[in-house]
Amino acid sequence: MEKFAVLLVDDKEEFVSVLSERLRLYGMEVDTATKGEDALAMLGEKMADVVVLDVIMPGMGGLEILSRIKKVYPHVQVILLTGHASTKEGIEGMRLGAFDYLMKPVDIEELIAKMRASIKAIAKE
Amino acid sequence: MKASTEDLIRARHLAFVGRVTASLSHEIKNTLAIIGESSGLMGDLLDYTAPPAEWAPYPRLKTLLTTIAEQVERSVVIIKRLNRFAHSMDEELVALELNDLLKEITNLAQRFARLREVGLETRLCSESLNMRSDPFRIQQVVFHFIEVSLGFAPKNTTVTVASRRDKGAGQVVITDEAPPRAEWLKKQISPPYPSFAETEEQSDRDLGVLGPTMAKLGGSIEAEDLHPQGNRVTVTFPLEKG
Repeated sequence: MEKFAVLLVDDKEEFVSVLSERLRLYGMEVDTATKGEDALAMLGEKMADVVVLDVIMPGMGGLEILSRIKKVYPHVQVILLTGHASTKEGIEGMRLGAFDYLMKPVDIEELIAKMRASIKAIAKE
Repeated sequence: MKASTEDLIRARHLAFVGRVTASLSHEIKNTLAIIGESSGLMGDLLDYTAPPAEWAPYPRLKTLLTTIAEQVERSVVIIKRLNRFAHSMDEELVALELNDLLKEITNLAQRFARLREVGLETRLCSESLNMRSDPFRIQQVVFHFIEVSLGFAPKNTTVTVASRRDKGAGQVVITDEAPPRAEWLKKQISPPYPSFAETEEQSDRDLGVLGPTMAKLGGSIEAEDLHPQGNRVTVTFPLEKG
């Protein structure tokens, strides 16, 4: 399996901890952040192929982080995670440049498939 | 119809209940996500690190992890229903599709049907019944009629919820195989509505609310006896609430 550099951003520490460990088991190189500001700073130091980003976070929300990422690093793919039954935030996120969105709880195979598709899509550009 | 101050206050009360419930459902979903990922990680660790052929607890642990994953999935479906139901209280006049709403409300009523050992089926029309109305009130009306049918229906029979278009209206037809009760039902839903003090039976109290609720929705209710046995309630909702 090809190895991606993933930045996982979610304010729920337990979720970030467990999902990042799973992604590492699947061969991903994973960094994590629990705040939007930290995520942006980390991207400045080390580029990621894909950012997996929770939409609802305290302080800087996921859609704002997405906008900032796409402004500075347009080639970085972003996949949104949303806990709402509504797809409104996900659709708004795609309008802002997200590759796709997934509802929590995520299916790990589906998440990895989305990541792979996002990297293929950027390679074609 | 112009909303009274009392109506507006009630609408804001409902919106508050809906907002808090939706927020709680969001929190529960986050917790489920952590449970789901944790059990997923346990499964991955077993697969990556344990020698399955030599380790006796391996098959049992895999089965238990599958059970956890299935229950998380089931809980997520229930939480999504709760979230959508909570959001139905957000606004009194929204664009909605009646069949979608009927699917939601019959899903919510399935547990009551199971407890009564009565089947609950939908036969929804294939065309979209798009309307502007109050989703919470429509669900309340349909749910109460389903509940009454379930309450009267003999065990191992089926209550059916069907839909159809009738000119400028969407109709919901609820049918059961219980002894005829059209006259009783008409009395419950017509003025003077049974007062809350006059009856102790839950379904009666709820039915007393339905007359005024239908008046708000601008719709109508028709109850008929079926022969030799059964009941049909037809609830008509205008596609555009006044």
